Amino acid sequence: MFEHLISIMIFVPIIAGLATFVLPLSREAARIVGLAVSVVVVLLGLKLFLSFSGASGSFEFVEYAPINESLGIAYSLGVDGISILVLSAAALLFPMVYLLFQTKAKGYYGNLLIVQGAMIGAVAATDMVLFYVFWEVMLLPVFFMIGLYGGPNRLPATIKITIYTIAGSLLMLASIIYLGISYHAQSGEWSFAMTNFSEMSLTGSTATLAFVGFMIAFAIKIPLFPFHTWLPDAYTEAPTATTFVLSAVMAKIGVYGVIRFVVPVFDESFARYALILACSGVIGMMYCGIAALAQKDFKRMLAFSSASHMGIIALGIFCMNIQALTGTLYQIVAHATSTGVLFLLLGIIEERTESRNIDDFGGLAAKAPVFAFFFAVAMLASVGLPGTSGFIGEFLIILGAVKFNPIIAVFAGTTLIIGVCYMLWLFQRVFFEKPSSKLADFSDLSAIEILTILPIVILIVVMGIYPQPFIAKIEPSAERQMAVIEKVQQIADNRIEPLKPGQELKTGDL
Amino acid sequence: MHDFMAILPLVATGAGAILVMLAAAFESFKKEGISILGIGLFAFAFFVQLTVESGAPITPYGSVFNGMLVTSTFTKGAGLIILACGFFSAIASQTYFTQNEGFVLEYYCMMLFAACGMLLMTMAAELITVFIALEIMSLAIYTLIASDRRSVLRSEAVLKYLMLGAFAGAFFVMGSVFIYAGAKSTKFADIGRVVAETGFLTNPALVGGSLLILVAFLFKAAAFPFHAWVVDVYDGAPVPVTGFMATAVKTAVFAVFANFLVINGQLQEGWVNYLFYISVLTMFVGNLIAIGQNSLKRMLAASGIVHTGYLIIALVAVNSEGFTGSTIIFYLAAYAASTLGIFAALSYLGGEGEKRNSFEDFNGLAKVRPYSAACIAIFLLSMAGIPPTAGFMGKFYIIAGAFQGGYISLGVLGIFSSILSMWYYLRLIIAMYFREPEEDFEVAEMTLAPLGTFVLALSVFAISFIPVVI
Repeated sequence: MFEHLISIMIFVPIIAGLATFVLPLSREAARIVGLAVSVVVVLLGLKLFLSFSGASGSFEFVEYAPINESLGIAYSLGVDGISILVLSAAALLFPMVYLLFQTKAKGYYGNLLIVQGAMIGAVAATDMVLFYVFWEVMLLPVFFMIGLYGGPNRLPATIKITIYTIAGSLLMLASIIYLGISYHAQSGEWSFAMTNFSEMSLTGSTATLAFVGFMIAFAIKIPLFPFHTWLPDAYTEAPTATTFVLSAVMAKIGVYGVIRFVVPVFDESFARYALILACSGVIGMMYCGIAALAQKDFKRMLAFSSASHMGIIALGIFCMNIQALTGTLYQIVAHATSTGVLFLLLGIIEERTESRNIDDFGGLAAKAPVFAFFFAVAMLASVGLPGTSGFIGEFLIILGAVKFNPIIAVFAGTTLIIGVCYMLWLFQRVFFEKPSSKLADFSDLSAIEILTILPIVILIVVMGIYPQPFIAKIEPSAERQMAVIEKVQQIADNRIEPLKPGQELKTGDL
Repeated sequence: MHDFMAILPLVATGAGAILVMLAAAFESFKKEGISILGIGLFAFAFFVQLTVESGAPITPYGSVFNGMLVTSTFTKGAGLIILACGFFSAIASQTYFTQNEGFVLEYYCMMLFAACGMLLMTMAAELITVFIALEIMSLAIYTLIASDRRSVLRSEAVLKYLMLGAFAGAFFVMGSVFIYAGAKSTKFADIGRVVAETGFLTNPALVGGSLLILVAFLFKAAAFPFHAWVVDVYDGAPVPVTGFMATAVKTAVFAVFANFLVINGQLQEGWVNYLFYISVLTMFVGNLIAIGQNSLKRMLAASGIVHTGYLIIALVAVNSEGFTGSTIIFYLAAYAASTLGIFAALSYLGGEGEKRNSFEDFNGLAKVRPYSAACIAIFLLSMAGIPPTAGFMGKFYIIAGAFQGGYISLGVLGIFSSILSMWYYLRLIIAMYFREPEEDFEVAEMTLAPLGTFVLALSVFAISFIPVVI
């Protein structure tokens, strides 16, 4: 059974999701189905995480079955140190959603199940076409969840996120096909396997365009400045569980895509544009951080905060060294847990008070101490306080950034302070100050809610104090990427040295 | 004997058409009986076509009927698509005419005759045969459009189509004459030989002749700049006939178009630059027309123009050496399944006298008829090229073929065109799912069309597993 572990993790949720649409279940029954399936996936995910050794740095739990032999398209899955943490995040975080929220219709649970299966598939796929299929399938449930169950302005938000992401993915499709054709031209064989693509040498302007195609698709998903404009609307209008899925897992798959596909395949183009991309990461960080300061809507503020932190995660990739890369992979999970918990807690406030206006709240800490405690832990992890998971990742990324380009590191480090500002200010306004009438009936978390959130809060602290077991799983794979990164570094060093303001970059520089 | 085996499906449809005509002459056969007979005949012809030996993967201009016809996996595939289109259109018609006026007992006879002409067209390897096939098909289609002769809308549509179609037919004949003058033969194989010996561009009669023939094909395929009739004619025809035209006619035309272009590499090379621009313009003009439409039928007509553009990409990238045409067949199958699916759904959701036809009329369909809405959504996603549907794989193969042939910009423009097309496909999905229903969707009695729609929705997924060689 365990040789098909990943396939089971992909298709059990998808089939269950389709079944909830078709079968005449009540809403509550659909919720129980969702919960049961997500618990099964958690158990399988734990089994996967624990039996994954990571020592070799190569793919484990490999599955392979050809789909179209003449074109070399295959159903091939596998997990390595780069994907294990993203995969775990996609597998482990879902039961909370079913436990904490009631929704309007059973279809919602079906969509949640399908999105989970598709996300696991996208992370585990090692064939580019298969990856693309899961990548797109991942979008459809989000489209329906926001459009059907979102807030009052859901329609424009839905259209925006859909057009954005589909435009990005179609450009990526063109790039994938280009890679397949190039591989055929260079080796005489057809293949869309990721490992084969990374062995190709790609030069010329078309290769750069293919790189751009990939980068735009992932930049939209992350989202990277200036492709972030869909995010505040979508995150705010989406029902909380969907926002949770988007911010905690789906955005990470964008980051994962860059590390997995773009860096190894387009090493040269990547090195050439790393500085620009790093700048865009930092600008996004600052822009969204400042925007977060100005928000009155609780959810919108968290949306900007999440986008701001995605900026630093993206920066970690573009710094191109082992510290930053490890930091990014670590921060992917750290951010997933902290932002995830923040959005879930916000969802609870929203459900009980039917308000998201920060000014409506105040004095919550006295009313609901457990709630305030959980929120504080997640918030501190989000701002990167030592002793929480956020610290390890952000520290490693900033360390890598200093090695890459001190100026960028200074800006990134300074921007983290903005993060502290808006978060602590938010905490002050919501949890302290004089009690608000809106919160008169606010009761603290129930036992079930506590039990649901507690494991994640514990995980945040454990990951902050004892990161070794997690880093041990990542590191060998990260080091395998080092070969690529060193090559990138070589090219980059030659280029960064003579870089002066206004200087044009030419291929000859490399 | 092999010759007769090859045209067995053609005989089956032709004889079937005559059978239906005779049956219609007897009072005892009523609407229902004729419908079942028509559907059954299409199914029968489909299975005959399925069992026909296609011979080698490709026997270019083999000696079927002394080189008048060609049989290959390509023609067999095209024939299968055409007969499947006929089958599902017949099913849709049966339901459509339970709530719409204008049924004549010869309706299915005309459908079978049209299919017969199309089958001949896919196999034709000789210009006069092509012309005969073209006319059999066109005359039957004209009749189908105007089967309700009291309707002004139908008459207007058929008049537009007939006038322009007659021009296209005349162009074709003129082109054949030119080519005969240049090559001393009307057989594709001989023309190819002459082109190989004397060169294509050095022979003005061949250039002029093939230009006129191309015009006729582009007209029938609804490509720019001969696309203007499409929206009006498709809008004026009864829903199932529109579906039949949009899919089966396109399949037949592209089959013969591809067979003609691969006569000789030089001929294809001579036209490839023009086809390149025609394809780009067809895609983008089609998109612009589709974005502006408010009627579903007109939107689908315009989206048919866009899909013609994608298919021309495949023709641009076609390789006359070792031509298998599997990309074209795959795309046509994927396109036919989703387009027919929508038209089948429209034929029972459209209501009496096609009263529901605009995007707004389908607001909130998902709440009232969730399965129909889900099927329509699947068809739309397939047309937009979203995985895991067949439309995605079709686009994948077409663009891979374009890249493989060195037409990277064309492939990328195809991608941009699909981004544009999301606009109108999503619009219907949004209307069906995210808006509130305004009225209840009363539907006649349970008939065959919902079943056909469901089967087509499944086949949209199933088709993606058909293997294709680029």
